[in-house]
Amino acid sequence: MTRHLRRSSVAGIALLASVSISAAPETHRNFVACPIVRDTSTVPCWLADYKGETYFLTLQTDVSAPVNPPQLGHKVLVEGVVSNEPRICGGTVLKPVVLSVLPELDSSCSTMLPAEERYNLTFEPPRPPGPSKGRLAFAPATPAPRPAPAPDVASKTFALQFDFDSAIAFRHAGQLQQIHEFARQSKAARIEITAYRAASLLSDDSVFTEREDIGQRRAEQVAAVLKDAGLTSVAYDVRWRDAAKPDGVNDAALRRAEVVVTR
Amino acid sequence: MAAYTAYPNAWGDVGILNASGPVETKGHPFFEPIGTNGRACVTCHQPANGMSVSVAAIRERWQVTKGKDPIFAAIDGTNCPDLPPEDPQSHSLLLERGLIRVSMPWPPRRDDGSAVEPEFSIEVVRDPGGCNVSPRYGLRSAAPAVSVYRRPRPVANTKYFTHQGFGVSPFVGKGPIATARDPETGRPTSMNMMADARVSTLKTQAVSAMQTHLQVTGPIDAARLQQLVDFESQIYSAQSNHRVAGNLMEPNGPSGLGVRNLASGDAGVLGNNTTQWVFPVGDVWKSLPGGAAPRDVERNQMRESIARGHDVFMFRTFWIKDVQHLNTVGLGNPTKRTCSTCHGMHMTGMDVANGWMDLGVTNLPWAREEPLNPWNERKPQMPLFKITCKATAAPHAFLGRVIYTQDPGRALVTGRCADVGSIVMQQFRGLAARAPYFSNGSAETLRDLVDFYDRRFNIGYSVQEREDLINFLSSL
Repeated sequence: MTRHLRRSSVAGIALLASVSISAAPETHRNFVACPIVRDTSTVPCWLADYKGETYFLTLQTDVSAPVNPPQLGHKVLVEGVVSNEPRICGGTVLKPVVLSVLPELDSSCSTMLPAEERYNLTFEPPRPPGPSKGRLAFAPATPAPRPAPAPDVASKTFALQFDFDSAIAFRHAGQLQQIHEFARQSKAARIEITAYRAASLLSDDSVFTEREDIGQRRAEQVAAVLKDAGLTSVAYDVRWRDAAKPDGVNDAALRRAEVVVTR
Repeated sequence: MAAYTAYPNAWGDVGILNASGPVETKGHPFFEPIGTNGRACVTCHQPANGMSVSVAAIRERWQVTKGKDPIFAAIDGTNCPDLPPEDPQSHSLLLERGLIRVSMPWPPRRDDGSAVEPEFSIEVVRDPGGCNVSPRYGLRSAAPAVSVYRRPRPVANTKYFTHQGFGVSPFVGKGPIATARDPETGRPTSMNMMADARVSTLKTQAVSAMQTHLQVTGPIDAARLQQLVDFESQIYSAQSNHRVAGNLMEPNGPSGLGVRNLASGDAGVLGNNTTQWVFPVGDVWKSLPGGAAPRDVERNQMRESIARGHDVFMFRTFWIKDVQHLNTVGLGNPTKRTCSTCHGMHMTGMDVANGWMDLGVTNLPWAREEPLNPWNERKPQMPLFKITCKATAAPHAFLGRVIYTQDPGRALVTGRCADVGSIVMQQFRGLAARAPYFSNGSAETLRDLVDFYDRRFNIGYSVQEREDLINFLSSL
């Protein structure tokens, strides 16, 4: 089921009703494509082709990296900015870039390219492919600081960002922990969760809209895991709604949940 | 039970260390039957088998006791309790693969007994043991249940999989769930104890095992429970002598080998490659003199092979692909990494965080399944289920919404489609004493185990690499 809608056809969509949509800026590349993995003599590069150009998305690094690689077997929604940096692995560098692995399987996304000398990295990658002798893959974690005393504020707002069409994922564990910790220390009485369903304005001027129930799913999952983590004596106000219109620039930020923790 | 005992196996000796000193087994709840079927914990957690139980030992017990040993108790030592107990075929999964039946309620139940609404339906495609279609024990019985068959996990080195260190937090990265908490302390657990992480403390595991495997019917005495926890918290198991490489506990030998080094290691540490290696082997066996006698030459060659095998484990890259809860947790699919990427816990090779993933051990197309052939007398051993996930469910990232599996694993606890076939990875210590391997016993030997990975990930090990890796694993 496609949820790509041409600009001219979106007027009746509640999400975008009565709002005209401008094209994404030329500096931005927002598209859905199969990711491509290219091996190098060190770590693999992740690329994607769009309208005859190859774009560099990211390198294989570590789970803690700000951008995680996409997945073969799935298309990826790319939302990036064309940078002036030298090409990497033959691709125009998108930076910053947000990558969303689309949940449904797509067996056509299977391209693995071999290492070629001309595409090897011209710099040392942030981390090698697995351990390397004599060099730590990443710096040892510094001891966690003692939890700060609960700040003397009545409430605090947290924001969770989501991949397109996805709810809670791997990287949210740390953010949920911050919410949990604040709620516990401040002896929170109320948690308001508002999650959004959003859309992305693609570079071909179509609008790519998330599944209808994703806002509800995000909101309910966040509430459920906070309760399961022990925040049971808190009043929950759980809401979901459609986000503002996409502009092709900040669309990734619209896929979010706001969590307001109040004492 | 002595403070230290060595038990022979095909690769040498496994060392069992009671770090707190000798243990009086008489009257001890780990060693004496406390249920109604004659079993004790030790029935399936044998010191000689690295505190698990090997299929060779099970077969020997069948022969010696003519099937009367309590391990063959009908409740889960048969493929199904309604099968004739005197027939070895009724125990085929235990005798052939070392598997104990685990009956999981369907739909899944939370700790408070409430039902989880599963994201998928389950149907039985094949069930050689018959329990899943049994009118009394099966999916359509009055108490619907799914019977799966799993290896007993070693009750040793428990500080490593009950740790509170790296990676243990209130939330699980592998799904929208909160981490299971210790009901006594309220603290998050590492959830690495059971194949499906359904219980996560030594005490809750003991209660669960007593009620199911031992068929304890009355209340469970708190003092005995504590005695069990205390015992299990101090017992260590590791290969301590290698039949070719010799003593693995020499004072100047590798600091990660042998049971005493294991007992003194740091728990809750993500292994690295400079200070706290996953398995500290070091350079002491990297290049050894030939030796004067043939035995010395052979010993030193094996030690060098073990050291090379360590490097294969640590540094040999390959493409890890299509593993739910590994390639989906920020690493990308595929990721060019090494064995130690997943098997990263210092001293055990477990996952230091919540360690369940779908490697393909129980899910098709990778699970051990022999294509049928009318001229082949071997028949499928394992049940096979068809899982159909709801259209609204988040699919399994690499198998979609229709999955054939021998064991849905973690999904029988969470009800989640994405968890089908996910199994908590197992520790590497005492391997030589407790074949077969994987949760479904599908790897009969260490060679089978290595070959599974070689096939699964198209690693292309050389003959030398394969031998070295097997020798390394046999020394742990």
